[in-house]
Amino acid sequence: MKQQTKLSQKQETVAEQQTQSNPAREFANSDELLRFDAAQTTVPPEIARRLEQSVGGLPEPKTNWWQRLLGGTD
Amino acid sequence: MVCQIGVEILVDDPIDAAAEGADRPVLELESDGFAELYQAHSREIFYLTLRLLGETHKAEDATHDVFLKAYKKWGDFRGDSSARAWLYRIAINHCSNLRQSWHNRNLVTGADESIWENAAAASDSPLRVLETKELGQRIQKTLDALSDEYQLLLLLVADEELSYDEIAALVGQSADAVRGKLHRARKAFAAHFEKTV
Repeated sequence: MKQQTKLSQKQETVAEQQTQSNPAREFANSDELLRFDAAQTTVPPEIARRLEQSVGGLPEPKTNWWQRLLGGTD
Repeated sequence: MVCQIGVEILVDDPIDAAAEGADRPVLELESDGFAELYQAHSREIFYLTLRLLGETHKAEDATHDVFLKAYKKWGDFRGDSSARAWLYRIAINHCSNLRQSWHNRNLVTGADESIWENAAAASDSPLRVLETKELGQRIQKTLDALSDEYQLLLLLVADEELSYDEIAALVGQSADAVRGKLHRARKAFAAHFEKTV
């Protein structure tokens, strides 16, 4: 009996820990939910590598019109 | 000018690079301001393409293509809109073309939103999530059930840096029309989301 109590206490603790490690969340609306989802999303570093390769053979883009206006190089 | 993003040194080993800087894009380009553009907006563009196209590898390709287009057109960017809105426009057009060709091949009929607009779930009811691990899948399933227009509106309005006027310009409607449709879109999203549990 004592052992059973101990076991159920242990089970409760495990359940509690699981709840704490993965707590339920509440979002006010879809905006908040999507914002959370976006923040969790990581950009694969592969994209930057591929992009670097792709632009490697291209001529440099022209300087922006406003940079030229401010005396930047073209 | 050399611009570097993410890490100090580019790592040759892709596995090490992914482990060390998985959350940070790595890009080194000799161009005025383009690397900063990528650093500042790649997450938003990747997220938009991911949720519009539904698959990570498609979103990777699309994000690459969007920034490549932006690189080629960078000199023509006049600053009439914010750089973010400009990139969103390129991304929306790109995804729209991809989806159109996919729809043409698969004869998909549009979602009927009216069913969900009258559903019990209200847009101002909180959305409860017990398990965040599979949240992305639930969100994708919910968005897939909505019309293209509602998907886009919800994804754009979730970006707090975009104004209603910018969103309206991106979807080609008035700001008032956007507000009205958003109300219905949120309601439809909430009703669908509840069903994905």
